[in-house]
Amino acid sequence: MDRLAVKYLRPRKTPSTACSGCGLGQVHKKILLAIEQLGLGINDIVWGTGIGCSGRQTFNTWKGDNFAGTHGRVYALATGLRLALPEDKKIILTVGDGDAFGIGLSHLLHCARRNAGITVIVADNFGYQSTGGQYGYTTPQSRVTDSSPYGLTDPNWLQNGLDILNLLRDAGAGFLARHLSFEGQNAVESIKRAIGNKGFSLVHIIYPCVTHFGEISLKTGDREAIFRWFENLFDGRSGDPGTPAFKSGIFHDAVGARPEFSAALKAWTSSLRQKENPRA
Amino acid sequence: MKKLFDTGNAAVTEGAILAGCSLFAGYPITPATEIAENMSRRLPLTGGYYVQAEDETAALHICIGASLGGMKAMTSTSGPGYVLYADPYGWAIGSEIPVVIINAQRVGPVSGITGAPGQGEFYLSRYPTHGGNFETIVLAPGSVQEAFSMTVEAFALAERFRTPVTILADQLVTDGWESFEIPENAEEALSLGLYAPARRVHQGPCFYPASDHIDLPPVVLGRGTGGACSDWTPTEEGYDTEDAAAHMRHAYRLIHKIRRHREIIDRQESYMLEDNPKIVLVSYGSPSRVARSAVKAARERGLSAGCIRLKSLWPFQDQLFRRKAVYMAVELNAEGQLVREIERASHAPAHFFGTCGELPAASALLEAIARLSRGLPPESLRWEREAW
Amino acid sequence: MLRKEILISGFGGQGVVRAGQILGYSSILAGLRASMLVSHGTETRGGYVRSQVILADEPVDNPAVERADIFCALSQAAYDRFLPLAAWGLTLYDPYFVAPAAPLPSAHLALAARGLALEKSGRELAANMIFLGAALRGLALIPLSCALQAAREIMPRHAESNTLALEAGYRHCTGEEAGPLGGNGVFLQPNPKKG
Repeated sequence: MDRLAVKYLRPRKTPSTACSGCGLGQVHKKILLAIEQLGLGINDIVWGTGIGCSGRQTFNTWKGDNFAGTHGRVYALATGLRLALPEDKKIILTVGDGDAFGIGLSHLLHCARRNAGITVIVADNFGYQSTGGQYGYTTPQSRVTDSSPYGLTDPNWLQNGLDILNLLRDAGAGFLARHLSFEGQNAVESIKRAIGNKGFSLVHIIYPCVTHFGEISLKTGDREAIFRWFENLFDGRSGDPGTPAFKSGIFHDAVGARPEFSAALKAWTSSLRQKENPRA
Repeated sequence: MKKLFDTGNAAVTEGAILAGCSLFAGYPITPATEIAENMSRRLPLTGGYYVQAEDETAALHICIGASLGGMKAMTSTSGPGYVLYADPYGWAIGSEIPVVIINAQRVGPVSGITGAPGQGEFYLSRYPTHGGNFETIVLAPGSVQEAFSMTVEAFALAERFRTPVTILADQLVTDGWESFEIPENAEEALSLGLYAPARRVHQGPCFYPASDHIDLPPVVLGRGTGGACSDWTPTEEGYDTEDAAAHMRHAYRLIHKIRRHREIIDRQESYMLEDNPKIVLVSYGSPSRVARSAVKAARERGLSAGCIRLKSLWPFQDQLFRRKAVYMAVELNAEGQLVREIERASHAPAHFFGTCGELPAASALLEAIARLSRGLPPESLRWEREAW
Repeated sequence: MLRKEILISGFGGQGVVRAGQILGYSSILAGLRASMLVSHGTETRGGYVRSQVILADEPVDNPAVERADIFCALSQAAYDRFLPLAAWGLTLYDPYFVAPAAPLPSAHLALAARGLALEKSGRELAANMIFLGAALRGLALIPLSCALQAAREIMPRHAESNTLALEAGYRHCTGEEAGPLGGNGVFLQPNPKKG
């Protein structure tokens, strides 16, 4: 992290204030690696966040311009900002699962529908860990959390035939991928593809919360056991029928298939003005 | 000057465009829909953008996002949407981002009577978001002409004070038609004082000056200044903090930048107050027009009456109520909101004349003035004010 | 100080708001000030869509009609509902749509607006302009030429039929059948013939 941190992050915000053993730093690092490999600089990116673990720990870490939106609304805020920024400025949002798939889902879907040029990185820690470990909309079924003391009965977005990424694909997202925070270059490649997309992209990255999800839902403080449990989520290796099974990698790639929101609106407005007032 | 006969909705649109508004985001709602429709027709032709949002929460967020990027932005709604602004309203107050909000008040609670005039958001416009530690700026037009000029003024105040400004109108002001005049060009506008300063960009690295100064540029992102805005308490460098002392400095700035420059905000119009009348009617928006009619008629009958029309509501203009008089608030609600502030400011009980969904009749107000001058409470006062 | 209150009411689609808009704009062209409140919500669906127009020589204060100088009743529902507001003014009504109260409580003038509109302009929907023409004559405040210009600017597609209808309505009030002219520029006709 050091080299990338020096290059891209504000010294005051490093090291982060995340819990020891938190997987968020791995997500953060992958985004920085992607930015570096794309050859982007400090002023090429405006970095926004939601709130909660992923929002607060990444807010104002970026050496350039930063913002954090109210819970779940940063997609709408970024939509307005998108119109004000030149096309070549990138907007990257780091948000949590509650933010994207709970309180902000309507705004997220509308952002995908408009194909606003925004890269959303959902850093998913399976619940509301910043507020003390309540279940979210990706928390595995029947797990005990602080707000499901007898086991989770509320259906989630990831099991029993549901996948939140299907919804986002149908809403018009140009690029969707899913990874685990401790994957390697393949996750970085997805983020690069997402940032490179002029329209709406989302990369869903699951990362382990050792403090709440580990201790309470997995009932272990053993970091290695927690990490192994998360690794086994992918490709259905856990053998546990109650646990969601993911495929790692690109979920949907339609980069460039639809016009980007702000570019299209600007082009339309300018052609309308030409038509209505040809001398202008 | 160009003479027009049109609605308050049209006047607001013309005012916004004159002020340099380049983004409108809104959600259709009676009776503010026509502002959105007018903006969707006029903005693209002036180089601006109209965005229809998925809800009012998104609408104001889109506005503040655009403002954060350097554009002047506006949204419009009525009560049911105004409550959904709470989230972004607070964000814009805290991050000190200019934006203009029109509320064409209708009858509540909830959907109430959708297309009839109300005045139920007087206090909501003072506390449009949670958490306290802030002041708000709220203007109240009473005519179509004012709907035009106040929209320009609202943009100017938003820029100068780095904060959201609400124009608290009512359905009769926005949907009502009236003769009004607009300047033909920028020079004419300037000569009338109708001018909203252009957006300036605050140059980092110190994001929020820890002072009560106004006329300082807000943070604008995308210009390489390293600016940062968030919903957390900011340090002067823009970092999030949970330090109470930092929060005190933040609150101080939000409150005092407005309180200490209130002479720029305060607006009112008085009628027949020169001879210190016994009875003073107080109102804002469309009922103030009937109040003026009633005072005129009362004077013709030899009754000692005058009226105050508040053109800015918040910060509340306590100084207007130092004069010893029998005050009667005339409001488009049944419980009395403005009357409470008058009582607080004048340190005395005040009378209340309220109607729901329609203007009070001038004849009924005249009757109330006649009763007050005989020492009787106005007829519409169904409950006494012993509660305070 | 001058203040005139004009109430126009009828079914949705009869051009009640258009008539008010043209009246308001005419008054600006004549150097006056004007305001207009139009119906909202359920009122627009009850047969009594309403425009309340106030004309004045300074900015209008109370925008509501409480004492109409002229009441144009384009439907029975409108007539029944708002007649009390015109107790001191002149009520113009189309006998095709409105059976007036008997005995007449106030000044009335029968105006076969629908028939005249068909006859003079060939367009039934121009009946609102017949009413407006008659109201202008009754007001004796705004030159007909201002109304003709306002109608042309606001409804350019119907410029011709509206011009004919406004003129016909205006002339109708100057004819013998209109009865004597009251002191306030108001026609008094205590006994209008039906039909």
